[in-house]
Amino acid sequence: MNCRECTEHLYEYLDRELTPEVEREIRQHLRDCPPCGEHFDFEKLFLDFLRARCRAQGAPPELKRRILHELFGE
Amino acid sequence: MTPPTPPTPPIPPAAPALTPAAEAEKRASFEREALVHLDSLYRVALRLTGNPAEADDLVQETMLKAYRAWDQFEKGTNAKGWLLTILRHAFINEYRRRARRPETVDLDAIEAFSVFHELQEEDPQGAFFDRIVDEEVLRAIDELPEQFRETVVLSDVEGLSYEEIARVLDVPIGTVKSRLFRARHLLQQKLYRYAVGMGYIKGSPR
Repeated sequence: MNCRECTEHLYEYLDRELTPEVEREIRQHLRDCPPCGEHFDFEKLFLDFLRARCRAQGAPPELKRRILHELFGE
Repeated sequence: MTPPTPPTPPIPPAAPALTPAAEAEKRASFEREALVHLDSLYRVALRLTGNPAEADDLVQETMLKAYRAWDQFEKGTNAKGWLLTILRHAFINEYRRRARRPETVDLDAIEAFSVFHELQEEDPQGAFFDRIVDEEVLRAIDELPEQFRETVVLSDVEGLSYEEIARVLDVPIGTVKSRLFRARHLLQQKLYRYAVGMGYIKGSPR
């Protein structure tokens, strides 16, 4: 696997969406190629950052009350 | 002589009234499997409508529709994906025209690249991300073209698999992959430009 092929699978790899065989090939390439390894590390960090920042928000308590009232008349 | 076929009634017959026990069971299963996803639905609704009041209405409408259709939901399967599909249809049918003007963005014309190559000298560990506040991240997501935005939200905010996203958006998995690839890079570029503008990093001209 070359750098271009590896990068094409960047997010599928980080999202764990690849078959075990392709995943193994990429892991091997990342071990052999430090620039790709650093790039993948950076992208993983970016995804972790994105998820941490966006998942905190929840529905307002008032909305839940409103829905329960509509559904069950409470 | 066969009697004429009766005309199809314009309104389907109302579902037979449930016994109190069946009603209680329906409610319990709805609370257990559907209402637990309220936070997820709200986050997605907020990113789709861009407006808390409309997000409230959209989520409420979704839950009412879901409860009415609850008998058709195959219990024990993925309720979150099912609810998100209802929410998205409601959004497209009733809110999009009001909430945001229809988009005319040519997604293929968007050139999205990873900012890693700009940063590999100055900040290869992406330390600048930590200085960006949550509101700025959400704003950057809100500025994405709608098809990119909904894909990123389902993936990175709600953690759906590619297959689940494909089902909710009714597109092939290959489309999910290509949208995610470009949407995330576009988002990176926005945050990178913001960080350069704020002086968090020097950046390099491209």
